[in-house]
Amino acid sequence: MSALRLISNRTSQQALSNSDYTWEYEYYEYGPVSFEGLKAHKYSIVIGFWVGLAVFVIFMFFVLTLLTKTGAPHQDNAEPSEKRFRMNSFVTDFGRPLESERVFSRQIAEETQSLFHFCINEVVHLDKAKQSQKGPGLESNIHFQEVPRSSGMFEEGLNGLTKFNIPNFVNTEQNSSLGEDDLLISEPPVILESKSVMQSSHQTLD
Amino acid sequence: QVVVPEEVFFTVAAAGILENLLVLIAVVRNKNLHLPMYFFICSLAISDMLGSLYKTLENIFIILCEMGYLTCRGDFEKKLDDAMDFMFILSLLGSIFSLLAIAADRYITIFYALRYHNIMTLRRALVILAIIWTFCAGSSIAIALFSYEAATVIPFTILFPLMMFFILCLYVHMFLLARTHAKKIASLATSTVHQRTNMRGAITLTIFLGVFLCCWAPFVLHILLVKFCPHNPYCACYMSIFHVNGTLIMCNAIIDPMIFAFRSPELRSTFKKMFC
Repeated sequence: MSALRLISNRTSQQALSNSDYTWEYEYYEYGPVSFEGLKAHKYSIVIGFWVGLAVFVIFMFFVLTLLTKTGAPHQDNAEPSEKRFRMNSFVTDFGRPLESERVFSRQIAEETQSLFHFCINEVVHLDKAKQSQKGPGLESNIHFQEVPRSSGMFEEGLNGLTKFNIPNFVNTEQNSSLGEDDLLISEPPVILESKSVMQSSHQTLD
Repeated sequence: QVVVPEEVFFTVAAAGILENLLVLIAVVRNKNLHLPMYFFICSLAISDMLGSLYKTLENIFIILCEMGYLTCRGDFEKKLDDAMDFMFILSLLGSIFSLLAIAADRYITIFYALRYHNIMTLRRALVILAIIWTFCAGSSIAIALFSYEAATVIPFTILFPLMMFFILCLYVHMFLLARTHAKKIASLATSTVHQRTNMRGAITLTIFLGVFLCCWAPFVLHILLVKFCPHNPYCACYMSIFHVNGTLIMCNAIIDPMIFAFRSPELRSTFKKMFC
């Protein structure tokens, strides 16, 4: 009897092994445990644990959505860039910016389709690179520098990253890449329309 | 004891093993998928498979014991039981570290995009995986041998939320950066898409970590309770749903390939080629 008790004490401490001791586990583990006189419900730990876990997950979800909502509002970003485009088309030749802006928007579409999250560093690096080169270029071919500046960034980003074979990852990137691709594919026609409207307005002004 | 019906148990286990095996086969067969990222996903698939395998073997063992084919107090059975414990802890640690490796890999891909191919070469990825698995094997042997001590249980349970928190931080940082980039692009276009895409990112991230947490945390709590209050009636009630916890771990093995591996179109097309 004492030998059996020893075995049962050991099995009570073997946290993970209850396979071949399961039948002993049942007999000797729950024997001394009596379920009388319990103040709370029997399964209170179970319920409490699962409720706590659910609350935690929901809390984490809300924290994440809050993180997405804080930050600069979108309208401030949209307006100065449009003004910049208008300025560019004022200063430059009118035939070419139309093409280059269409190419630009197509490149935006391609870029966002395949390389959404990965051009971030590239944009930053190439931004800095281009800004250093921007000075001398300004006098000669303004439209070459200003408008395709960002398209150039994206193009170089595209060329650079196709070498890396990262598009495999981009398509698997779980941070809403699929959703964003779907949504942004519909964007370029809007860009094209807005740009052509701007172009026609500048042409009428000029 | 709350008992999960045998059929459900075995179906879930078999589905988990099959799915992860398919992922492994697909990655091995397709040369395009010989990338560090897919190797980490493979390592996650292996640890999931180990977990499911453990549960299946344990259940078969119990059935054999009940039917009386095996003497359940023999020395051989105890050794087998220890081996299975080792496999299970290995699976848990392997899962945690694989998730960590996947998160770190994605982090490097985003923040060091230009230098990614120099930082994360195939060889380095294999070396990292070897280190991870050696460490997991070593610590799981130690834990399995000394599972009676409180000194192993407490670090084990602390490691779990710590890793989760670290992975969460990595993903949140990536997520914030993706959001600023989305803003840059949206500044050149209409920006009404924002709310929905960000919501989707938050949902994906919550699913990631929520699934892992919901599937492994019950079991970790079980270990804690067995260690610290085996005779308390409340704890005993919790411990009676041990089989449900085990089934949850196998559900994790089924869900993980869906949220990691099957998101890749390349892998999906490999599957279609394999079956059609």
